[in-house]
Amino acid sequence: MPLLRSRKRFCQLLLMIILGILSFLVSGAEFSAEIKQGDIAKRSDEYFLSVNIDYHLSEKAKTALQNGVPLYWNLLVKVKKSPDFFWDKTWLKVAKRYQLQYHALLNMYRVKNEDNGEVHSFSSLSSALELMSVIIDLPLINKALLDPEHQYLCLIKLDFKRDDLPLPLRPFAYIDPQWYLSSEWTSWPLKK
Amino acid sequence: MDIMAPEKIKPPVNLSVLILFGLILLSLQLMSSAMQESSELSAMYSWLLLFNTLGSVVLLVLVGANIYALLQHTKRREAGSRLTARMMSLFVVLALAPAIIVFYFSMQFLHQGIDSWFNVEIDRAMEDALELSQASLDQRMRGQLRQTEQLIDQLEGFSENAATIEIEHLRELSGASEMTLFSKQGRIIASSSNNPADILPSLPEEHIWLQLRQNGFFMALAPVHEHELMVRVIVTVKSLESQYLQALYPVPVRIADLADSVEFASARYQEMSYLRNSLRMSFSLALSLVLLMSLLAAIWVAFISIRNITAPVKELVKGTKAVASGHYDQILPVMAQDDLGFLVESFNDMTNRIAQARDETRKVGVEVENQRAYLETILGNLTAGVISFDETFKIRTANQAAYRIFRVHVNQFVGKTLLELVETYVELVEPLKSIQHLLENADDIWQQRIAFLGPNGRQELLCRGTPLFSQEGFRVGSVVVFDDVTDLIQAQKNAAWGEVARRLAHEIKNPLTPIQLSAERLQLKLANKLDSSDGAILQRSILTIVQQVEAMKEMVDDFSEYAKPSKKQSLNVNISHLIQEVLALYTLREGVRFKARYQSGLQIVNGDPVSIRQVIHNLIKNSLEAVGLEGLIEINVHRVLKNNTDFIEIALYDNGAGIKEDQVEKIFEPYVTTKVKGTGLGLAIVKKIIEDHGGAIWVDNGRKVGAGFIIQLPACNSELS
Repeated sequence: MPLLRSRKRFCQLLLMIILGILSFLVSGAEFSAEIKQGDIAKRSDEYFLSVNIDYHLSEKAKTALQNGVPLYWNLLVKVKKSPDFFWDKTWLKVAKRYQLQYHALLNMYRVKNEDNGEVHSFSSLSSALELMSVIIDLPLINKALLDPEHQYLCLIKLDFKRDDLPLPLRPFAYIDPQWYLSSEWTSWPLKK
Repeated sequence: MDIMAPEKIKPPVNLSVLILFGLILLSLQLMSSAMQESSELSAMYSWLLLFNTLGSVVLLVLVGANIYALLQHTKRREAGSRLTARMMSLFVVLALAPAIIVFYFSMQFLHQGIDSWFNVEIDRAMEDALELSQASLDQRMRGQLRQTEQLIDQLEGFSENAATIEIEHLRELSGASEMTLFSKQGRIIASSSNNPADILPSLPEEHIWLQLRQNGFFMALAPVHEHELMVRVIVTVKSLESQYLQALYPVPVRIADLADSVEFASARYQEMSYLRNSLRMSFSLALSLVLLMSLLAAIWVAFISIRNITAPVKELVKGTKAVASGHYDQILPVMAQDDLGFLVESFNDMTNRIAQARDETRKVGVEVENQRAYLETILGNLTAGVISFDETFKIRTANQAAYRIFRVHVNQFVGKTLLELVETYVELVEPLKSIQHLLENADDIWQQRIAFLGPNGRQELLCRGTPLFSQEGFRVGSVVVFDDVTDLIQAQKNAAWGEVARRLAHEIKNPLTPIQLSAERLQLKLANKLDSSDGAILQRSILTIVQQVEAMKEMVDDFSEYAKPSKKQSLNVNISHLIQEVLALYTLREGVRFKARYQSGLQIVNGDPVSIRQVIHNLIKNSLEAVGLEGLIEINVHRVLKNNTDFIEIALYDNGAGIKEDQVEKIFEPYVTTKVKGTGLGLAIVKKIIEDHGGAIWVDNGRKVGAGFIIQLPACNSELS
């Protein structure tokens, strides 16, 4: 019986550690981005998404940026049935990929759209973030791909790529809430 | 247990452990490779780190569980646990000490190595280089601003159409790559570019317009493509209506490359400097993880290996314990053909031989036991009691007959002397003391007849004792064999007296009748022939002859009565009732008072009522003769507990002449009497009847007046309950 008691105690300890880690990660929501003012428009059988994103860079993220560390975000878009089952098909794609980097020589913030290679330079961080904030008429999906019998949802998430941080920063970025800069999934219904 | 077939010598670790070790090494190598930024594995760095951390946790749990199990085994003092603990401690100390030393110095070198990448001079140089580049570019921008401002004068006074032509000229003159004239509202008035493919000029962004309206000019460096720089200059043209002239000057490729190089190096250095602590921690983490995993894996494998090594030792300890507790059939499995295997084989041979010896001993023991049981059976079924003693006269064995005779479980007093037995069984004081005395004093075979009043009434034992001597001649104990010869003696007596009575009747009583008849005939024939004096003499003589013949007849009858067995039947007799019945016959006699006291309750004895009645009659008659015409006869009947046995005691007292002291000893012997008349067999018959009933009778010496007799007869306990 002492063995069973010690096993129970060990399980309790493990549970407490997991809960501690979870609560620690949840507390990182302070710096997560927010998806605001989304709109889905349908033009000639194609759905387009316009959305406004609010970035909240933590001090650590800003310091890293100032020291030349490039930051990467992916805008993830998902279309799925509502309600959905796990066997239902889900369309997931990386709609946009941004790189934000500070250039000390020019004292400018440079935003690069990784999809088309477009580079924009800004003298202030807020201007650079503003560029990344506004997404207008992002093509989502063709109506032909959707089953007219069902309702669909469009889900959007801004995903901060901690895996693209410099290698020494990565382990700490996973446990430091200041590096949780992603947004939650936000959904809108696709109108028929 | 089956003997396992000998196996080949096995390595201390098996294949699965080697595979695990390989996986751990691979994982650590992958993580090490992933730490290189340029490596393709760098994207998997976090996963590898997590995997290795989880691996460490799993190993930690395994090691922890093993340590816990080992501690439990050690606590329970299980076989081989202490050896395992000692070996594990030794291994951990030997493995941990160098590992920690290497780890400590590795960390030192690592931190020093990382710190050596950075120093104040390089830091300063990098900052200066960047500042120099910025100053150089700034100077270039200011020069191009001044140059553009000078161009404004040439544009003043031109109409919009003329300005289109003039702007081409000015662009070529200034060396700008593009020149555009904007209206105040931002409308393009005129534009010129050195690239004919550019249809639209580069338009300023909103914040540029804002800055332009505030300052009147704008100047900035802007990256055009990946590695190209361009100076954007916008100045206000002060004509009738404010216009803006934008000129884009390309930065020479060499300068752009140099600036780019300086910026790259500076940014890289700044990034590294910023990541210094993270880098240090990251490397420390990786190194710690490598050390932890290696150590934990080594300790875990050590547990497995040491367990394999100590397994035969454990088996040996278990086997030894089993042998120590008498299980000689223990055969241990031979796990390996090494020294321990040889030891196990030797152990198996040893236990096998011990088992054989044990079996033989057991066989002999069984035979001895059978013999002993046989002897015990014989002893137990003997009618004679047998008690053996050691050299200090303490009881060693006693058979069932001893209990039957003494009514004492002598077996329960093994190790004690007979005198100690007496303390518990007082009624046996007489025979036991006698036996003890004889045991202590006899050096040879002895025989003794011992009579006592035991729980079965008066008993007579025929005891024979033999001292026992060892082969060396030392006394090692003694044996006493005793028989209850009460019945035998009584039967012999009865037979002897019966024979005497028969002979007396035949030899004495038979001639008495002719003598009496002859005497009576003489009187009849001669009475008339003799004179009166002779006739009187004849008559007296004849009377004397007849009286003496009658007396002799009576004597022979009494004797015959004495010789006959007195306990002819066995019935429950209530003594109180019986005495009352007898006394009723004497109460009419004047001058003699009878005083009888009976204890309440039943006074039952088992015997012949006629014989017991005769006893009472005889004693009362004796008392009546003793008291004469006046006197007092007292009879008390009560129950007494003597020698743990219930007796009915009848005490009979009179206030007559009493018994002389010299006659007290032999009063119960035949032909002893104090009376003028009488055969002297009365009290002998009484004693014989009482003894035939297992009782006893004696004269109460303590009485000062008259005579007193006390009779004790065994009470019938079944009636008491």
